[in-house]
Amino acid sequence: MVTGWAHKVAGPFAGRWLGILLLSLLVAGNAPGQSKEYQIKATFLFNFAQFIDWPPAAFGGADAPFCIGILGDDPFGNYLDETVRGEKIGSHPLVVQRCRHVEEATNCQVLFVSRSEAKKLKEVFAGLKNQAVLTVGEVDGFCKDGGVIRFVAEQNKIHFRISPEAVKKASLTASSKLLRLAEIVPPGGD
Amino acid sequence: MTFSRPNPGWRTKVLILWLGTEVLVAMPGRGGPASDVSTNSETVAVYKKMSLEQLMDLDVTSVAKQPEPFGRAPAAIQVVTGDEIRRSGASSIPEALRLADNLEVAQQNSHDWSISARGFNSGLANKLLVMIDGRSVYTPLFSGVFWNVQDYLLEDIDRIEVISGPGGTLWGANAVNGVINITSKSARDTQGLYVEGGGGSWLQDFTGVRYGGMLATNVSYRVYGKYFNRGDEVYASGKDASDSWRMGQTGFRIDDEAGQQNNFTLQGDFYYSDVEVSTGDEGRASGGNILGRWSHTISDDSDLSLQLYYDRTHLVDPISNQFGTAEILTDDLDTYDLDFQHRFHLGERNRVVWGLGYRFTRDVDQGAPNLAFLPPMLDRNLFSAFAQDEIMLCKDVFLTLGTKVEHNDYTHFEFEPSGRLQWNATPDQMLWAAVSRAVRTPSRVDRDTREPDSAAPILTGGPGFESETLIAYELGYRAQLAKKLSTSLSVFYNDYDNVRSLSFTPGTIIPLFFANNLEGQTYGIELTADYQVLDWWRWHAGYDFLDEHIHVKPGQMDINNGRNETADPEHQFSLRSSMDLPGNIEFDTGLRWVDTLHNNDGANLGTVPSYFELDARLAWHPTKNLELAVVGQNLLHNHHPEYGFPNATREDIVRSVYGKVTFRW
Repeated sequence: MVTGWAHKVAGPFAGRWLGILLLSLLVAGNAPGQSKEYQIKATFLFNFAQFIDWPPAAFGGADAPFCIGILGDDPFGNYLDETVRGEKIGSHPLVVQRCRHVEEATNCQVLFVSRSEAKKLKEVFAGLKNQAVLTVGEVDGFCKDGGVIRFVAEQNKIHFRISPEAVKKASLTASSKLLRLAEIVPPGGD
Repeated sequence: MTFSRPNPGWRTKVLILWLGTEVLVAMPGRGGPASDVSTNSETVAVYKKMSLEQLMDLDVTSVAKQPEPFGRAPAAIQVVTGDEIRRSGASSIPEALRLADNLEVAQQNSHDWSISARGFNSGLANKLLVMIDGRSVYTPLFSGVFWNVQDYLLEDIDRIEVISGPGGTLWGANAVNGVINITSKSARDTQGLYVEGGGGSWLQDFTGVRYGGMLATNVSYRVYGKYFNRGDEVYASGKDASDSWRMGQTGFRIDDEAGQQNNFTLQGDFYYSDVEVSTGDEGRASGGNILGRWSHTISDDSDLSLQLYYDRTHLVDPISNQFGTAEILTDDLDTYDLDFQHRFHLGERNRVVWGLGYRFTRDVDQGAPNLAFLPPMLDRNLFSAFAQDEIMLCKDVFLTLGTKVEHNDYTHFEFEPSGRLQWNATPDQMLWAAVSRAVRTPSRVDRDTREPDSAAPILTGGPGFESETLIAYELGYRAQLAKKLSTSLSVFYNDYDNVRSLSFTPGTIIPLFFANNLEGQTYGIELTADYQVLDWWRWHAGYDFLDEHIHVKPGQMDINNGRNETADPEHQFSLRSSMDLPGNIEFDTGLRWVDTLHNNDGANLGTVPSYFELDARLAWHPTKNLELAVVGQNLLHNHHPEYGFPNATREDIVRSVYGKVTFRW
C-alpha cells in the first residue's frame, strides 16, 4: 500500500505531495495499485451509507440529497463520483461534495477526512459535535480523537474499525452486519 | 471397468497468471489504452456488486490484475468462491463442484464420481479438462479425472471457475465440453494458523491444519496437512457396500512478490489414499507434484509467464476377475510439463495472447490378468502452440479469433480454432456468440486395453481409434437486471463426430473393440440467477436443459446401440439460500433436483430415478476466531442412487451429518 508506506516515511506532508504525484501518475495511466485502493475505499463509503441509519432530522427533507463529503485533499479522483452516480439512499439522491473546511461539511451525512487533515482532527471533530455525520478516516488516532470509522490496511487488504461510542454520539445506528465485519474500537481506543 | 485414482495429464493453461485470476475472463472486452475511462467505470460497477466481505478480500497491491468483470467473459463461465464452498458445507472438491450449476455431478460410491458438463457423463466421463493451480489433473489413462485423489485444504481454495463449452483454443485437447480451474489462494492470503476438525455419520472424522508465515519481506509461505475418513455407502437393499475411504494430504506454497516486475511461485503436494472395495481388497493411491511459476510484467499491457511442473501418481487397483476375486492393476504415471505464455497489445485495437507448451508422460502399467494396457511402458510427447487475438471492432464490440495447434503421438496434428463475438450492449448487459472446434484425443483405454491372460479376450482397445471431434455453436447473455438481481443464460448446439463406440470383430464377434462409430447432436440451455433479497439473505437458482441425439453412423454398428456415452439428466435445477442471522449465525440450504438418468448395460437401458436432495449448514461464530458448524448432506432420503445401471452392485448415497469446529488465528 503505497500511501501508508509513504506516509510513514515522509510524514504528514506526504499526502499532499502524493496527491500531486498520484495525479501525474494517473495521467500517465500508470498507478494501478494506488488507484485501486481508492476505488475500493470509494465503494466502502458507498456501502457504509447503506449499512448505517441516520435520524430523519439529518436531512433537509424527504428528497434532500444524501451528501458524501471529502474534507481536504481528494484522493479519489472521479471514482467516488462514478460510484454514487445515479444512486439513492432511500429517497435521497447521492451527491459528492468537496470541502476545504469542516464548516462546509455540516450538511454531509458521510464525511471522508483526508490524510491532509491529520493534524487538524481535533478541530474537525469539534466542528461536527452533535451532528449526525458518519466520519471516515484513515490516519492513526482517527478513532481515538472521535472518528467513527477508520480504514486500516491488513496484508494489503482494506479492513475497517468502527467506534460504537462515536456511532452513538453522532446519533447513528450501525447494522449488525457492519459491526460483525468491523474491528470494534473500545472506548478510548483507536 | 472401474479405476479409482489420480493422475495428471494434459493440457495446461495458466492464463490465470496474467489475466488476473480469471482465466478466460480477461480475454474479452476492454479497449486499449484509449478506453481508460470506461475501464474505470467497469471497475466501479464490479466493485459495487461486491459484498463488504468481498471488498475486504480485495488486494490493493496486485499490479495489472485489475478485477476483471467476469460478467464480461464471452463464455458460459460460473465462478464458485471459497466463501461459497465454506458456506455450502462441502467437504471435498466434487461436493464443491455441485455449486456450479453448469456441471452434472453424480456420486457413484463413497469415493468415485461422474462429473461432466453438457452431457456425456459416462462412467469414464472424458470430455472435461480439470486443472488445479495450472496443473492438469486429468489422466491420459482414460481422459477423465480420478476425483478421489484431487483434494486440497478447502479453506485455502480461492475459487473454482467452471466453463461449460469448449475451451480447446486456449487449453487444448480434451477441453471439449468444459474446463474446470481450481485456484488456491496466494500464500500471502493464508497467513496465520488455521485448524479444523470434526466428524459425523458418514464423514466419520477429519482434521486439517495450515500455518502461513513470511520468509522475508513480501515472500510468504504456507504449509498444510489434512486427513479424513469416510464411511461406507450402501446397496439399494440397505446392505453395507464396504467402500470406505481414507486420505491424507500435505503440501506447501511459497509466493515471492518482492519484485515489482517478477513474481515467483513454488508449490507442491503429496497425498496417500486407500479405499475398501467390495471384493474385500484394498485400492491404494499415492502421488505428488511440484510446480514452479515465474511471471514477468513487462508493462501494464504486457506480461509473460513460464511454468514448469512435475507430477507423479501411483495407483493400485484391484480388478475383480470372473471368479469374484481380485487381481491387481498398478499404474505409475510421471508427467513433466512446460508452459510459456505471452500477452501484449498490438496497436490500440488488438490484444494478443500466444503460447507454447510441451508435455512428456511416462505411463508404466502392470496389468492384471484380465485387464492391462499394452505396451506396459508408454512414453508420450505432446507439443502445442496457440495464438489468439481479441480485436476491438468498435467501442463495445469485440471479436476474438484464435487457434491451438497440437501434435500428439496418437493422431499427430490437431487444430482447435474458435471465434467469439462479444457485444457490451449496455454497461449491465452483454451478449456473446461463439463457434469452436474441440477434440478428445485417444486415451490408453481407447487404444491399449488388453486382456493378456485370456485365450478369448472379450474387450480390446481399437488400434485405429481416432479423435472425437466437436463443432460447438453457442449464444450467451449476461445481465445485472437490477441492483440486486443478476442472471446469465447460455444456449448451445453441439455437433459431434467420431464418438466412441464398441464394435464386434467380424466372424468371431469377440473381442469387442473401441471404434468411432457414433455421431450426433446435443443442444441445451443453462440458466442462473442470483438475487440479494435483503442485506442478510441471498438466493441463487440454476437450471439446465439438455437434449442428446447420439446415434450409430449409418451402415456401422455399436454393441451399446449408442447408449453408453450419455447417461445424463434432461433437466436439473438447484436452489440455494444463504442467510446471515442475528447473533453471528449463518444458515445455508441447497436443494437440487436431478432428472431421470438412463444408464445402459449393453443395449439395455436402466434408470436412476429422478430425485430431490437437500444439504443444509448452520454455523455460529461465537468469536472472530472460532466457527462451529453442523452440516447435513442428502437429507431427504436414507439413501438414494445417483449413477449406474440398476443391478446388485449399484450403490446408493447415504444421508450424512457432521459437525465441524474451525479456528483461525
